[in-house]
Amino acid sequence: MIRDVKINSYQFLVLVILFTIGTSILTVPSALATDAKQDAWLAAIFGTGIGLLVIWLFITIALWFPNLTYVQLLEKLFGKWVGKAFSALFVLMSLIYASELLYYFGLFLNIHMMPSTPMVVLSILLAGVMVMGVRLGLETFARTAEILIVVFFVIFFILVAFISPEMKFENIQPVYEMGTKKIVQSSIFYVVVSSVDAVVLLMIFPSFINKMKQVKKSFLLGNLIGGIVIIVITFLSVSVFGVEKTAGEIYPSYELTKRINIGNFVQRIEGLMASLWVITLYFKTTLYFYASVLGMAQILNLKDYRPLTLPLGMIAVVLSLVIYPNVMYQQHWDSTTGNSLTLSIGLFLPLLMVVVYAIRKRTKKKEIEINE
Amino acid sequence: MKKCMFVLLILSLFLTGCWDRRELNELGITLALGIDKVEDEYQVTAQVVVPSEISSKTSTGRSPVTLFQATGETVYEALRKITKISPRKIYPGHLRTLVLGEDLAEEGIAESLDFLSRDWEFRSDFFVVIAKDMTAAEVLNVTTTIENIPANKMFNTLKTSEASWAATNAFILDELIANLTSDGKEAVLTGIIVTGEQEMGSSKQNVESITPSARIEYNGLAVFKKDKLVGWLTEIDGRRYNAIVNEVQNTVTAISCPEEGKATLEIIQFDSKMKGKMNKGKPEVDINIKVKGNVGEVECQINLNDPETIVELEKNTEKEMEERIKSTIETVQKQYKSDIFGFGNAIHRSNPKEWKKIKEQWDEEFPEMTANVKVDVKLVHTGTVGNSFLEEIEGR
Repeated sequence: MIRDVKINSYQFLVLVILFTIGTSILTVPSALATDAKQDAWLAAIFGTGIGLLVIWLFITIALWFPNLTYVQLLEKLFGKWVGKAFSALFVLMSLIYASELLYYFGLFLNIHMMPSTPMVVLSILLAGVMVMGVRLGLETFARTAEILIVVFFVIFFILVAFISPEMKFENIQPVYEMGTKKIVQSSIFYVVVSSVDAVVLLMIFPSFINKMKQVKKSFLLGNLIGGIVIIVITFLSVSVFGVEKTAGEIYPSYELTKRINIGNFVQRIEGLMASLWVITLYFKTTLYFYASVLGMAQILNLKDYRPLTLPLGMIAVVLSLVIYPNVMYQQHWDSTTGNSLTLSIGLFLPLLMVVVYAIRKRTKKKEIEINE
Repeated sequence: MKKCMFVLLILSLFLTGCWDRRELNELGITLALGIDKVEDEYQVTAQVVVPSEISSKTSTGRSPVTLFQATGETVYEALRKITKISPRKIYPGHLRTLVLGEDLAEEGIAESLDFLSRDWEFRSDFFVVIAKDMTAAEVLNVTTTIENIPANKMFNTLKTSEASWAATNAFILDELIANLTSDGKEAVLTGIIVTGEQEMGSSKQNVESITPSARIEYNGLAVFKKDKLVGWLTEIDGRRYNAIVNEVQNTVTAISCPEEGKATLEIIQFDSKMKGKMNKGKPEVDINIKVKGNVGEVECQINLNDPETIVELEKNTEKEMEERIKSTIETVQKQYKSDIFGFGNAIHRSNPKEWKKIKEQWDEEFPEMTANVKVDVKLVHTGTVGNSFLEEIEGR
């Protein structure tokens, strides 16, 4: 049943773009400006570069066994029990992040638009659509993404075009004051959020994609396009607001849309602009959730993942309400524990896989030589 | 099942709502806020629109705005206390002007601004001004002509005078906070005063006569050091300040003729570039100003038909502007010792490494530093006439 699902490489590209932009569009400018100051946009460029290397690593690993998902791959490489243990960790991470994004969504609306709506209502609303999307299957939400990416880019270009008159180049000078070391250091957070997190896409790539050849390219290209969007947003935030305000705001890019004022006519359109975040947040959340549900189904050797969607969806909603006591804790957790969690599953585990794969290949060769 | 879904879908079209809904008739739309310090407490004054008075149909001739005032330990507390007097909760989403009292400014404005940047209902597109020699409440208590709503009058006057006179500065909250937090630039704010008989200001009769007894007027530029008011620049110095920081869009300026009398130059294009540099370990800035203008008025004996005269006029203007700007810089350096021009930022941009070293002693460095001013004036045309008829009168 699961096997029949296939999406094409363009749909995958769209999913990668939306995933990469995801939450970064809200939080990354302020995180980068805190450390890299006016060179935040350079940090975003560095981060995108490093991110592409990470994606390349993912592609290499995934293409050893093009028919297996990440969870199956772990089992194949590390054996049944160790593999399942790693997989369980991976599923847990995906589920935590899915509920983290539900929290993000609720928090964003709570802070900026609906302060007295309880967060649980907002979480349930998004989780409902998320569960629905996953139940309908990968093909359906990939097609939805195909439609919504157009909406996203139209609004994004409107934002860029309308805010560009407000740019002040003094705000980004002096360029490269921080030096390479500091800039690369500060870009780590961004690499983790945008690229290392993309390890969950290995649940789709490459086993659910019909044309193998182009898909490699679309993974890299998608990450690059997403990266460019983040670079542009960071550049705009710093050049419009200056360093202090960008670093001080919780959601600088939303503050950007508030600034739009074309001839006292086109103004106060931030409500419309907020659909940018709702679109990208939704797809990132759904992909996390899909990875956790499918991963769990494969660990338990279930034929179909659908029965798991509702219970896990409920868990995600509850988790999103209790996961952080407050916003400051969330920011601290993201940059410490969250970072290590993602890095260990998204970077060190794949590197370990490379080592194990190399050793196994050699012993296999030796076995063949001995037999001969 | 399908029928059920269908009914649900149809219903959801009509039964939509919003948890956070707030209807228009529940909002006390506030267009101007004033913050004062009264005996260690904040006094917040809100100028709230009376909706029935701004529509021409239901208007009964009463005042289009009303004032609510409350004091509290913090700004937010004071603002909420207003609900004791006002039938509607204050909605600051359409705020146009924020007036800060002079007493507050002398003690420091930073604490009172945090709330305005933190609360989600405030947008950062309103102007901030300082009441000169009076409280903010007094400024908000004056009726105005042409613009019915005083807050709009304040907003528009500031905008037009910034655009075509350039002695005032329309600072929005973000710019003010950026200047307050920046290492290499101090804040300034435009001053606002009430002229005439203040007591008459709040009554409707004030605007019923041709010359209102009390008027709101912009006057002077408040100089800050950190977040404390240290003094006032005169209107003339204020214009030169705008020239240095490249805020001039369009203005007119009187210049001396070669012999005697005055002429007026209308500036149509203005561009000022500030560049920092280090000269033998000492900070320096170069200010290069390019002006394009027209001869707008001639009140002296000159022969405009002669190209030489234009050149001479340009030279004179350049020299005069250079001297004036230098004297303003000197006044600020000697009298206020506050780097309102952003010289520090200019040096930070051009010499980031040296800036790190002198950053700590910037307060001592700034009054001593040299500023090289160079003005380049180009006169394009002389209006609709060539030579002035004044010459004809003289020649009779």
